[in-house]
Amino acid sequence: MSKKKIYETTFIVNAALDDPQIDAVIERVKEVIVKNGGEIRDLTKWGRKRFAYPIKKKNNGFYTVVEFTAPSDTIAKLERHYQLDENILRYLTIVLDKNALKAKAAAAMQAKEADTPEQAPKAATPVAVVDEDDEESDDDVT
Amino acid sequence: MPRLAGSRAAGQRGGASRGGLSRGAAKGGFSRGAAQQRKRRTCRFCDNKEIYIDYKNEKRLQRFISEQGRITPRRISGTCAKHQRQLVKALKRARHLGLLPFVADAVS
Repeated sequence: MSKKKIYETTFIVNAALDDPQIDAVIERVKEVIVKNGGEIRDLTKWGRKRFAYPIKKKNNGFYTVVEFTAPSDTIAKLERHYQLDENILRYLTIVLDKNALKAKAAAAMQAKEADTPEQAPKAATPVAVVDEDDEESDDDVT
Repeated sequence: MPRLAGSRAAGQRGGASRGGLSRGAAKGGFSRGAAQQRKRRTCRFCDNKEIYIDYKNEKRLQRFISEQGRITPRRISGTCAKHQRQLVKALKRARHLGLLPFVADAVS
């Protein structure tokens, strides 16, 4: 039961800062996670994005997604840190449930397959492609 | 048994099931409308066998909000109850992060 949960936290850094300053903010967040017994599994920087609506009177921000495992009390400390850091505009921390993890694993597998040259012969044989194309076109239509 | 008969009576008046159905079809109007609705009603997430709706995939989610930023109801999008719950959660998370609007600026 005491299995550690896997969390995913997304936060938005003030995009008005310079790149090294943003990196410093991200670094500090990582530090908070690690110092409180967490372990970072994955970190993705989306970069600067425009908001759908202004947040703290700003129109864009720098998005970062961190996936990590940690004891549950780490989350409170992390969110406290988010509150204190003025350059963090918004944050969201969620627990990744098993379905999310499964979907993630599947996506990772697909990305791997796309990278390997396995796709080239598949494209050459039209018969094999048919199913895939159907699925993709469904996606586009919907 | 009585319940079954009752539901049929609701469509047309009782009788044998065959007769009732064919009469309904002959009447046109209603049955055609029902057929159209039934055709549309497939859950996209079930079709694609998706088990997780990611709040980060804003382009995917954008299809499920109206121009004004409202969440499309189930009766229109045809999403099943299970996936609608997940979808709404994902949409709201995306809104919180500024990926999707709460209210789209119609006036701007």
